[in-house]
Amino acid sequence: MIHINISKKLHGVCGEMSLDIDLNINQGEFIALTGASGSGKTTILRILAGLEVAEGEIKVHDASWLINTKSITPQKRSIGFMHQENALFDNMSVLENLLFVKKDLELALRLLDLTDLTELQNRYPKTLSGGQKQRVSLCRAMMQKPQLLLLDEPLSALDAKMRSKLQADILSLHKEFNTTTIMVSHDPSEIYKLSTRTICLQNGKVIKEGKTKEVLLKSQGSQKFSFEGELLELKEVDVVIIAVVAIGQQIVEVVVSKKEVSTFKVGQKVILSTKAFAPTILHPSL
Amino acid sequence: MSKFCAIIIDIQNHDSINIVSFKAGDFTLSMMSLELDESITVGTEVVLGVKASSVAIAKEFVGELSYANQLDLEIQEIQEGELLCALVLKAKDFELESIITKASKRRMKLQVSDSVTALIKSSDLFIVEVL
Repeated sequence: MIHINISKKLHGVCGEMSLDIDLNINQGEFIALTGASGSGKTTILRILAGLEVAEGEIKVHDASWLINTKSITPQKRSIGFMHQENALFDNMSVLENLLFVKKDLELALRLLDLTDLTELQNRYPKTLSGGQKQRVSLCRAMMQKPQLLLLDEPLSALDAKMRSKLQADILSLHKEFNTTTIMVSHDPSEIYKLSTRTICLQNGKVIKEGKTKEVLLKSQGSQKFSFEGELLELKEVDVVIIAVVAIGQQIVEVVVSKKEVSTFKVGQKVILSTKAFAPTILHPSL
Repeated sequence: MSKFCAIIIDIQNHDSINIVSFKAGDFTLSMMSLELDESITVGTEVVLGVKASSVAIAKEFVGELSYANQLDLEIQEIQEGELLCALVLKAKDFELESIITKASKRRMKLQVSDSVTALIKSSDLFIVEVL
């Protein structure tokens, strides 16, 4: 069990705010931290890693990492930290980068095997693609067999295909080592694939927490499809009205009756929803 | 979308599929649904909704249909367009809107004050909000 009860004053975009977090995390859980920029997600990871000071308590199993304002150094914490930017040593091969963390050849080769990097073990970082470098960073973060793995938007700079590969790697390493993991991410599909619990932050406070599916699934009443959009136009056609709504980068049309639309005004925010039984799924090429 | 108040009288569940029964006025209605919010239980009052274009009409029909919801109503109002037709159907305080093609309206010789049966598939009925 990891117990985190911390507070810290932060200077956010909207002025000073207080980061107040009280969390219990079970061994082996995969937690997703999500929320708008500046809500305190990365700060939590940095406090856990010992890279920022905070007040409160961090207890990992029986070890206290923070009591009041007294904390142990980052080196004494059993942590693996992976960022968006990899920090590999360019003058060392892939294998040497891993062994630099810990001289455990058996573990290094097992990690490289699990992430399909065995063939690249003697290559130098400069000769690797962005995705390959991130996979090496992930292996390196696991070399300590950390009690806590922290992932700070590790895949946000990668293309969709490489993200998918890295997500599979993260998942297989999580299954293999059962490492308690906290991942900062904005990507709902990534959060859904990887995490079991999701915590949403806003201005330094937890505003929503629960099983990932329950937190992510947008629903309205019993309707499972629910999207917020802006009403752009109401076109009267025959006895019906066609409502044109902008959702994200897309424009969609919805047929509604005149009665139904009488209380709506162009320009307002609307929720489009439908039952899970109504939409059809097609291949993108169709 | 037509909306009306209803109370939940039964919930049948298997895995993540639910069949929820409601009482709305004199009618009993049935809805097919995936997982329901925890606040939705027997006795819960809700607002039900159905799209006007999901409501089919039968007149003087004899035989069996798979529609779980078959409501006997009276045509209160008919609004005709070029190709489509909007019907307002009523029984006491219960009101439902149906949009059908004008060709169907003509073929069925639908007129105001006709007695008809509104047909709604249980997968087309939904909870708009929990009261």
